[in-house]
Amino acid sequence: MLKKSLGVLKYGFVILIVLLSLGPFLWVLLASFKTNAEILSNSLGWPSSFRFSNYTKAFQIAPISRFYINSVIVGIFGTLLNLLLLGMAAYVLARFQFRGKKLLMGAFSLSLLIPGAAMLQPLYLTVNALGLYDKLIGLIIVYTGFGLPVSLYILSSYFLTIPKEMEESAYLDGASFIQTFFRIILPISKPGFGTAGVMQFLLCWNEFQFAIILTTGNQSRTLPLALYYFKSQFASDYGVMFAATMVVIIPSIVVYILLQEQVVSGLAAGAVKG
Amino acid sequence: MVRKNRGYITLFLLPTVALFIIVYAVSLVILFGTSFTEWSAGRSPVFTGLANYIKLFTDDADFRQSALNTGIWVVLQSTVHVAIGTLFAVILSMKEFYWKFARTVYMFPNIISGAAVGMLFLCMLNPEFGAVNSIVRLFGNADYSQNWFMDYATAFLSVTMTWLPYAAVVTILILAEIAAIPESLFESARIDGASNFKINLYIIIPMLRNIIGTCVILSGTSMLQKMDIILMTTGGGPGNQTMNLPIYIYKTALMDNNFGYSNSVGVFLIGFGLIFVLLCRNLFRIGSSQN
Repeated sequence: MLKKSLGVLKYGFVILIVLLSLGPFLWVLLASFKTNAEILSNSLGWPSSFRFSNYTKAFQIAPISRFYINSVIVGIFGTLLNLLLLGMAAYVLARFQFRGKKLLMGAFSLSLLIPGAAMLQPLYLTVNALGLYDKLIGLIIVYTGFGLPVSLYILSSYFLTIPKEMEESAYLDGASFIQTFFRIILPISKPGFGTAGVMQFLLCWNEFQFAIILTTGNQSRTLPLALYYFKSQFASDYGVMFAATMVVIIPSIVVYILLQEQVVSGLAAGAVKG
Repeated sequence: MVRKNRGYITLFLLPTVALFIIVYAVSLVILFGTSFTEWSAGRSPVFTGLANYIKLFTDDADFRQSALNTGIWVVLQSTVHVAIGTLFAVILSMKEFYWKFARTVYMFPNIISGAAVGMLFLCMLNPEFGAVNSIVRLFGNADYSQNWFMDYATAFLSVTMTWLPYAAVVTILILAEIAAIPESLFESARIDGASNFKINLYIIIPMLRNIIGTCVILSGTSMLQKMDIILMTTGGGPGNQTMNLPIYIYKTALMDNNFGYSNSVGVFLIGFGLIFVLLCRNLFRIGSSQN
């Protein structure tokens, strides 16, 4: 008896969780193919046909394609720069002993404890002073920094799993420090870079609060802001609003589904060791 | 080898150190320094001692509400949210046929932009065409068809519901920890006649102390950041019902142009976070050896 009711409870819980996670997403996806009249009269039903006019219309509202390009640029360069710089730092921190190492590690782990929200105004000031306000490069640098604790953590725990003999034999063969890093370490650390890269890309793609204070106008704003700013403009055209929402969501989901084993195992490895 | 490499070590560390200084160190110095000043854009800061902090604690209803909301959300996130994530991990660890599908789907709301999550729920709860009110109407009780995010009675709970159930990161971390428990432990428990339920309760859960502690810290501190979903759905309203500290910082700094005051709220937020992390570390004895 107890066993049976526990079983019912278990499946009820699983179904509830799946519905809660997938429901809103599927509902908006379906609605993005509907006309305005259908959305109002037939909120829960299937669309009469799968038309893409809401999507083309969403992109015709000029700034969205601008925002899209901006998001792609910020996502790609914010990720590459983060992986390169943090990869180099994590390698040195994982492999070598030197004076000041403890101090440095302490400082870096401090960054995990500072809520981004506390730095809103100070960072606005710094970015302004560097002449990077309302420029994509400003966002790229700030996001590269925000990914510091996570990337450092994932990459250095990955480097620790690589046997030291790899590098020693490279040195014996006459490879320099830089050659060893770029030719030996980088290629065999692809899984580590993969995990850190996905996390960093999603951070860049989804970030909202700094995008809103470090940019103005439409020139260098990113997609999450498109939703915020056009919330009122779409107010009368629900279908387009739904399509725009999907346009923001779908890349995150595609990236995650393609690389999910990588992300899950990377996170998991860090957690178990940590 | 070290001597030979010293130049390269510096070279490899330098960019990250520069990044840390630009993004974190300079910000912290500005934050603390100007939290004792009266300062707005285009003017120089004027030192006013503890005036900002005194006002914060004695004469600012919006701040009190924001801090209270943040506190409640941190508590909910580090208890209910972590409990949901842990429970789901324990269920998924039985590896029944659906487990990979459920794990993937559960991750969706965690990986999409908070602004998009806000938009999804804004639409779901829309009084005219939203799915929730449509379902309510299906059951013929139109009285509940309301604007959930704008109603004083429901706004706080509605905003809370947009993140409270989505504990996929907790689930993944705990699943991994369960997978790392040696199989022999389960076998000997089964030989001793323990049921699955008892194995979960007496073997798995106690072994997860460290990782659950980590999840409590991660989930709780994530609430010190939350801004996008709230701006998207309620903007902190109605009144100041759903205001939290990040929204309050944003408003005082960039809308009221009151930099010094906003930075004293930032200092409070950091202090709040540090105390929370220290409390959790002690509570879960994180770092001390397991068992």
